[in-house]
Parts: sequence; C-alpha cells; structure tokens
Amino acid sequence: MTGKSSDLIQGTLDMLILKTLALEPMHGYGVALRIEQISNGVFRVNPGSLFPALSRLERASRIKAEWRATENNRRAKYYLLTEQGRKALKEETLQWSRQLAAITSILEA
Amino acid sequence: MPIMRSFLSGIQALFHKEQRSHDMDEELQAFQEASMQEKIRQGMSDRQARRAARVEMGSTEAVKHKVRASGWESTAESIWQDIRFSLRTMAKSPGFTAVAILSLALGIGGNTAIFTLIHQVLLRDLPVQDPQQLVTFGNSEGGGVLGGVDLGSYSMFPWYFARQLQANPGPFQGIASYFSFSPKVSVRLSSAGKATANNTAIFVPANLVSGNYFSIIGAQPLLGRAITPADDATPGSGAVVVLSYHFWQQTLSADPAVIGKTITINHTPFAVIGVMPEAFHGIKLDLEPTELWTPITMQTVIQQGPSLLTPQNGAYFLHLFARLRPEAATNKTALAQSQAWLDQQIRTGIRANEGTPISPARQQEINRATVPLVSAANGVSSIRSQYGDSLRILMAVVGLVLLIACANLANFLLARAASRQREIATRLALGSSRARIIRQCLIETLLLALSGGLLGLGIAFATTRALIVFFSQGNPYIAMSSTPDLTVLLFTLTVSLATGLLFGLAPALTAARTGSATTLSSNARTAQSSGGRTSRFWPKTLVTAQVTLSLLLLVGAGLFLRTLRNLQNQDYGFERNHLLLASFNAQLAGYKPSQTPALYQTLLEHISALPGVHSAALSATPPISNSAWNSTIELSGYTPAPKENMSSILNRVSGQYFETANIPIIAGRSITPADSASSLKVAVINQAIANHFFPKGDALGRALTINIDDVKGPWRIVGIARDTKARGLRDAEPTRMTYIPLAQIDLFVPASTTSSATSSAKSGSNPTAAPPVENQDRFAGTILVRTTGDPAKTIADLRAAVAATDPNLALFNIATIHDQVATFMTRDELISSLTAIFSLLALILASIGLYGVMSYNVVRRTNEIGIRIALGSQLGSVLWMILKESLFLLVIGIAIGIPATLAAGRVIQSQLFGLKATDPQTIVTAILTISAVTLIAAWLPAHRATKVNPVVALRYE
Repeated sequence: MTGKSSDLIQGTLDMLILKTLALEPMHGYGVALRIEQISNGVFRVNPGSLFPALSRLERASRIKAEWRATENNRRAKYYLLTEQGRKALKEETLQWSRQLAAITSILEA
Repeated sequence: MPIMRSFLSGIQALFHKEQRSHDMDEELQAFQEASMQEKIRQGMSDRQARRAARVEMGSTEAVKHKVRASGWESTAESIWQDIRFSLRTMAKSPGFTAVAILSLALGIGGNTAIFTLIHQVLLRDLPVQDPQQLVTFGNSEGGGVLGGVDLGSYSMFPWYFARQLQANPGPFQGIASYFSFSPKVSVRLSSAGKATANNTAIFVPANLVSGNYFSIIGAQPLLGRAITPADDATPGSGAVVVLSYHFWQQTLSADPAVIGKTITINHTPFAVIGVMPEAFHGIKLDLEPTELWTPITMQTVIQQGPSLLTPQNGAYFLHLFARLRPEAATNKTALAQSQAWLDQQIRTGIRANEGTPISPARQQEINRATVPLVSAANGVSSIRSQYGDSLRILMAVVGLVLLIACANLANFLLARAASRQREIATRLALGSSRARIIRQCLIETLLLALSGGLLGLGIAFATTRALIVFFSQGNPYIAMSSTPDLTVLLFTLTVSLATGLLFGLAPALTAARTGSATTLSSNARTAQSSGGRTSRFWPKTLVTAQVTLSLLLLVGAGLFLRTLRNLQNQDYGFERNHLLLASFNAQLAGYKPSQTPALYQTLLEHISALPGVHSAALSATPPISNSAWNSTIELSGYTPAPKENMSSILNRVSGQYFETANIPIIAGRSITPADSASSLKVAVINQAIANHFFPKGDALGRALTINIDDVKGPWRIVGIARDTKARGLRDAEPTRMTYIPLAQIDLFVPASTTSSATSSAKSGSNPTAAPPVENQDRFAGTILVRTTGDPAKTIADLRAAVAATDPNLALFNIATIHDQVATFMTRDELISSLTAIFSLLALILASIGLYGVMSYNVVRRTNEIGIRIALGSQLGSVLWMILKESLFLLVIGIAIGIPATLAAGRVIQSQLFGLKATDPQTIVTAILTISAVTLIAAWLPAHRATKVNPVVALRYE
C-alpha cells in the first residue's frame, strides 16, 4: 500500500495507458485494474486521474472509444489504440528506456 | 491536424454538453460497478465492496469536472461565463456603465480621429516603389517663379540646371524635376469625346513634370503609359497629358477607351496617354490634388506665360527630387557622399552664374552654399507643414483626455472593488482562485474598453469628416478620407486594450489582494474605513493626476483661444467687413493683354452699377493673400548695402483700389482712374518701405524701379499707404508693399534685355524675339467689391454682372474678406476650438471623478462621522474635515501642474501669437477654474456629511 498513483512520474500515465490498451481494447476499470495488477499494486490509478488522461488521449487521437457490451452483458465504453497511438507508444517507450538508462547510470556512478 | 481535431471535438463538447455528461455518468457508473464486482470476487461482502468502490471513486462530479477541464473548451466556457457575469454586473448599474462607455468613447474617438489625420498627413508613405529612397533637394514647400536668387534657395531651380542634373545624376539613381506649383488650367473635353458635346470649361490644377518624373518616383500608370523623356525633349513639343484617377472618374466617367483621345487644355489639344492609380497624387501633395501631368516642354501653354525654358540662366521655378541608390537610403556615409556631390554641383552652378571676378567674401559664401537632401518618403505636403505641429499638439491633448478618462474609471472601479470585497472574499472562501478573480475583473474592464472603442470608432468617423471639411476650406475634392483603414482600426483596438489594462489592472489587483478572513468578519466596514492610508492612496493619486492634467489642458485651451483672439483683433490695415473678393482669369477666357483695358472698364462699370455696391476695383492679388507677386526694387537716392534685402511685394491695381479696400493714404495721393497709360507712371509705397529707406520722410517724388523687365518703370512715388497684413497674420515685421496702376503697365514686353544684369531678376522673355510680345502682367486676378451691407448678399449679383460682361469669364473662389482672413487662421481656429472642447470634456470628467471619490469616502466614513457628531463635533468642523482632503489634493495637483504647464508651454510657444506660453493671466484663470470646479465637486458630498444623523449612522451596520 506504499506506492500511490500520485507517485506516478509526470507524463508516464499516458504511456502506461497506451501500453495497456496495446494488448487489447479495454474499458476504464479494466485499464486501472490491469495497471495495478501488472505493477503488483505499486501504481493505483484513481478515476480522477484516469478519466482526464483517457479524455486527453482521445482528443489527441491516440485512442478511440466505442460503446460495447461487457462480458457480463453490461454496456461499457471500450478504448482502442489507434495507429497514431501505436506510434506514440513506440516513441515514448524508446525515449523512456533511454532516460531510464541514463538515470540508472547516473545513480550507479 | 490534431489542433483542428481538438478544436472540432471541443466545439462538439460545447454543444453536446448534456450528452457528454450523460455518457460520463454512465461510464463512471460502469467503472464503479466493475470495481465492486472485482472486490466481491476478492472476497468482500456486498456492502463492503459497494462502500469501498464508492470511496475509491470519490465525487463523480469532481471527476467529471477534471475531465472537462482537460480540454480547451472549458477555459473558453469559463471565460464566456465571466463575460456573461460582467455583462450582468454592467447591466445592474446602467448609470456607471453609460458614463464609463461614453467617456471612453469620447476619449478613444478623439484619439482615433486625430490619429486618422496624422496617419494621412504625416505618416503615410507615397504609393510608389521604395518610397524611402526618394529625397527632395531642399524642403520644396514654396512655389512660384523667382528671379535673382542663388541656385537652390527656396529649393527652386532653373530649367537648364534641372536638365543638366537629369542628364548626369551622379551618385543618384536619377534626378527629376517638376513645376513648383500646379496652376489651374481650363480643360474642355474635345467634342469627339462624347455624344453630348460638353463645351463648358472646367478648371483643374495641372503640373509640369520632367520626362523621367514617373520613372524616378516609381509609379506605374493604371492605364496607358506615363510621360517619358521623349515627350519632354524640345520646348513647345510634347502635347501629351497623364490624368489622375479622380479626373478620369469625375470628368470622363471612367471611359476605358480614353487613351489616345484628345482634350483641350488652355485652348491647345493634348493627347491623353495615361491614367494614374487612385492613390497617386504626385510627389507634392497639395490641398487640392494635381489632376493632370504634362511635360515641362509645354510650360508656356500650361502656365500661360512667357517661356521659362532658357538654355542658360533663366527663372527659378522647378523643384527637384531624386532617387537614392539603395545603399545610400540605408547607409549614412553613402548618403553623405550624395549630399556632397549635390553641394558640389550647386556651388559650381552658382559660380558659373556669377560675373567674374568673384570677391573673396562671395567666394566663401558660395563655398557654404548647400541644399539639404530631405526624405520624401511621405511626399511633400503643404498640409503637413501647415498642420503637422497642430496635429501633434492635438494628439497630445486627446491623449491627456484619454488619460483623465482612464483615471476616472480606475477610481470608480477601485471604489467598486472595495464595495465588492465581501463578494470577492466569499468567492475566495468557496475555492475560487485569485487568478480567476483577476481575470474576471479584467474581462469586465476590457468589455467596457472595447465597447467604448467601438462607439469611439463611430465618433471618430463623424469627427474626422467634420475635420476634413474644415481642412478642405471649401475645396470640393481633397485627397483625405475619413474612412478608417486597417492601420487606424489596429490603432483603435490597441488603444482600447491598453486603456482597459490601464484602468483595470489596479482595481483587479486590489480585488485579488482581499484577505478572506478579515473581510468576512462582521465589523468589516469599520475595518475598511479605518484601513486608511494605503487603501485610499490610489484614489487620491488619481484625483491629483486628474487635477494636474486638467490644469494643463485648461492652460493650453486658454493660450490658444487668446492667440486666436489676438490674431482676430489686430490691426489689419484694410477694410474687414464690407469687402467681397473674387478670382477670375481673363487669359483663360481667351483675352489678349491688349484687350484688357476695355474688358476691365466694362466689368467695373457693370459691378459698380449693382445695388448696394459702394465701389469696385481690380488687382493682381487680394489685400491679404498666400500667393504674391514680388521682386527686388531700386529707389533713387538710396544706395543699398551689399546683399541688402531690397525685395517688396508688388500689386497692380485699378483706380479705386485704395478706396475699395479702404487702405488709408498717409501721405501724398492714392492711385486714381486718372493715372492712365498716357500719363506719368506713378507708384504708391507703404509705410514699411518709406520708413525703412527714407526715415527722414522724403520718399515722395522719388523714382522707383522694379527688377522685372515687364514693369520696370521708373515709377514716381506719389503716395504712402498704411501698412497692411498682406502676407499673413503672424508677421512681426510689417510687409513691404509697392502698388502700381494696372492701366500704366506697358502693352509689350521690352524687345530685348541684355543678359548682363546678373544679380537682378531675370526676365523670362527670349532675348532675340523679333515680334513684340504682349505683356502678361496686364492681367488682373482679383475683383474687389466694397458693399454697403453684408457682402455675402452681393455674390449672386456679382456673378450676374460678370456673366453679363462675358459669359465665358468664370469666377472662382468668391469669398468675403472675413472668409479670406479666416483661411489664415484655420490652424489657430482648429487647434483652439478642439483644445477648448477637449479641455472642457476633461474638466467634466475630472469633476465627476472627484465628486465620485469624495462621495464614496463620505459614505464609507458615515460611521465615523456619526461618532464624531455624537461626541459633539461641530458641523463646521465636519465639513472642513471632508473639504480639507479635496483641497489638499487640489493644491498638490496645482503644484505639480504649474511646472508641467511651463514645460509644455515651451513646446507650443511657436503656435502662439501676441502672448507668451507663460502668460500669467491665462494660468491664473485656469487655476481659478479648476479650483472652482474642484470645490463644487467636493462641497456637495461634504455638505451631505454634515447631514449625517448620528443615531442612524451608528446603527448603520
């Protein structure tokens, strides 16, 4: 319970959402749950950060939304990665790993 | 693309707000549901899971707000909310809003109007290619035909010299020349031109230009071609004309096939070769724009005078201008080289004209001769030289008025911000950000400023129209427009925004500084009224500034009004009430100099017979006139010192001139009808000549010779007339005048004059002309009619009398002497009336401001005043307590204002007449006026303070 979503480095939430959606289209809760699960509960994304981020990404055409039925037959808004989003993810991942390598080497120096 | 998409989805979000909100609700609901299911799956009970999911979600409204705030449209929406809120606030106090918008509109309107004129008169570039490369040789402001001067003095040049420089332009791209003024010519459209043979002549200004004029100035014709050096090759040839757009539109109905047609100018056929674009008026921008351009070789036809195109020497009648090489337009050294080259040419030219040997003193003088290169990017403009300073002063005046209006509004808004402290504190307490509050305040002031600006544009349009009518002085067409162009609109927008920021920023910052805790407490009002010095610093400073600025404007208005009165009330030396003046040109109507005596006699007989006419006369120029005939004179018995100024204004007059113009004869006799061609040649001089050259009073009987061959004389001085204001109203020295009888001017120009006369005026006549040339100086140009009643009532009769003499004889510029004199004061009238109006406006604004601030102070201190009265304070001392504050501000305002006035006075001294800028009477009057207004504005609220009922005041909160 130590790591909170507020500890998320500024700007990384978008990348994480894109990465999550790259696997399969998902609704909002699915994204939050997946991030939490994969990070072993380190990152918890609350709706107050998640939805503005989704809205921002949708504006930037990196994802698009459509209403679908869930596995238990409820209506939910599913988000899909667009071609643009895929490109952006690739770029951001690349940049991220470069920065990470740099930071790590500084810390280990 | 993304920006566009973001914009579109933003718009969508704005318009489908309901739908969006609904979707969000559903999505959040689904989120919560899913979260609950997950928690149940992890083993929570139903109730626990529901609670946990809800806690996780927090307020759905907060989430929705965050999502909405992530797009630009939410900012736009909140601004829109602020705008609507501001509009509601403005509508709630319509009085304040109306005063604010109106005072801003007057301020901004005044600024826009004056700027429109400044832009057109002072700032606008000539509509030609690279105007910044154009330079004139000297200021090129005067105009006329001069003799006996050095090259380049009065920026005038003879033809041969212009030709020489045109052929060899040295470091310039080219040098062109044009006739220094645009004489009016009579134009008849050739009968072949129109089906309806329109045979009446129209009179328009025409200019003579060198063959390279259009190529040097860099202007392309709209139709056809411009004048080329081939047209301007030999004197007497090249009868081609280029039309102005206005002439083409008005007179030829924009005939697209006009090129190649023939029009008749001064009875000579000219081929139309081109039409210039609408904005082009030549390099010299006269009040009445030039309509026709012809080659200089057609000078005798256009000017209707003897040829001035002599291969050596000759009269000085051309202005020159040049196009600098691109590097000289930007580089000072290159410009200095061009200047040095020009001065070299001038000095060589002067030496060539000088008889040999040249004395060392003269040699030195020649070495100092210089003709400055003057930038002509905005053209040469008589309006600019006449009104430029006035417009700059007026711009400062309207700027001050706008500042006063700003100070007023800032004060009102400060007061309002103080009374809205509770509201603002509440908003801050409810979580509004200070930035948002500042934004809202600024939006309110900007709305006021922009509405004021919009209304101001309308006011400016009307004002500019009125001012242009004033400028045009009765000319039906002048090249100025009241329609605001892009520059003017930008100016108005900038001024409006700057104004809004200026008067809005301080109140907005004060509002945002409000502390929420103290203000909301119950005794806030007391805290405020005692919160004293700092909170009342700004209103006081602003009122003091208003007093200072108003004083400045009042003194300015006083000085200009007294200048106008001084100009009007001085001794003119001639009749100023019952005189009617009209210009006519018998030459353009086809008369020969030999026919003039008969014509003039009939004309004067017809006019004298009119009812209500006391007497009538003819002269070359009116008793007061901008244009003048002048020359140097020689007087028997007086030996001039070397280079002594021997010039005099000349006028040729008919027999009853002195009686008609009512110019008293001091000594001797006047010129009478008995002075005919067969009797002794006589002249009348004025006191200025008599006193200067014959201080012992022995001028009568001397012989006077004029250095113009046509009217050389000698003339015997038979009378001395009183000095008159012949050349203008501001001359400190009396103008020298010499009058000769029109009837005694010889019919023929002297057959030949040797060119040995060096420093005297040169005759333009061809030295070896075999047939005698008739003397153009036999023509008169002005009819003077002295009436027994209002001269304006005689205008119709005068027209009829002239038409009865000869229907072809056109009269132009009919004016009463009153109107004629007024044209010499247009600048003073303009500046004095506008400054007076604006300073009155400033005074009203300042008094409203003072009254508002003082009233507000009294209301704020009601509580305190009540306590004072309850404790036994006398009413008188309460009154004094309030008045004291305003008096203090008044004294400080005046103390700052007086040095400011004295400093500003130095700038306007040149515009004044008959008084100094430090005129104590004017300054004292202004101080008394501003004090009286201040006291009244302060007394009313002070008086109200004494009426405070202590019981009511103490229960007030």
